[in-house]
Amino acid sequence: MTFYEKELNRIRSIVYSNEQQINAVIGIRNYIEKNYDVNLNLNLLSHIQCVSRYHLLRLFKKYYGLTPRQYLIDKRIEKSKEQLKNGMSVTETCFAVGFESLGSFSTLFKTKTGKSPSEYRKEQLSRSKLNSKS
Amino acid sequence: MKVTIISIPVRDQEKALKFYTEKLGFIKKKDTPLEGGNRWLTIVSIEAQDGPELLLEPAPNHFEPSKVYQDALMDAGIPYTQFDVEDVQYEYDRLTNLGVEFSMKPTEMGTVKVAVFNDTCGNNIQIVENL
Repeated sequence: MTFYEKELNRIRSIVYSNEQQINAVIGIRNYIEKNYDVNLNLNLLSHIQCVSRYHLLRLFKKYYGLTPRQYLIDKRIEKSKEQLKNGMSVTETCFAVGFESLGSFSTLFKTKTGKSPSEYRKEQLSRSKLNSKS
Repeated sequence: MKVTIISIPVRDQEKALKFYTEKLGFIKKKDTPLEGGNRWLTIVSIEAQDGPELLLEPAPNHFEPSKVYQDALMDAGIPYTQFDVEDVQYEYDRLTNLGVEFSMKPTEMGTVKVAVFNDTCGNNIQIVENL
């Protein structure tokens, strides 16, 4: 066994010893992965996992390094990029990935990617046209 | 400031290019000749071609401390860097079939699953899947 593997085992026994907590946060992540496009809220999530809302937030952040809300936003932005690349309109994309307002979608998208959704869409579509020509 | 590149030290750039493209599945992005047969050689993920580039850098051949550091990491089994994958077990099976050697089989570590392989250019590389 390498030094690295020994160290992983040692760290696991200290940091990841609480299996119940790990299973709970993994369950939440999987839930977000499958349902990112609907209106999720933490109350619903904490009901599913039978823990308090605050405890859930703290646990998720402890193991994944970001809050469930931030995780959900990143997931939606990632999915919206796929939709825009496939030619879906900005408005359709916004609702298809679970955002409820076009304004907040555009602002978030620009903050995360540096481009507005329509700029991104135009760029991706002209790129795929170029690729299909060459 | 933007993160657009990370570098990885390799002993042989041509061999590294072959390994990273043919086995791992990256694609070549930039290839510029420099002096002494060295190249500015970068690769990107197929699914994120405007994402960060990986620079295959011949540092260990020209700067002794880089070689010493790389050897020490290799001996200890410590990954030089890591790449995200959808499914660690799937990649482990796929790469093993292609003859890639793993120093650590797929292993769960809390909320992630990881495995470590040898890139044949002086580095251990870790693949990671979020659980």
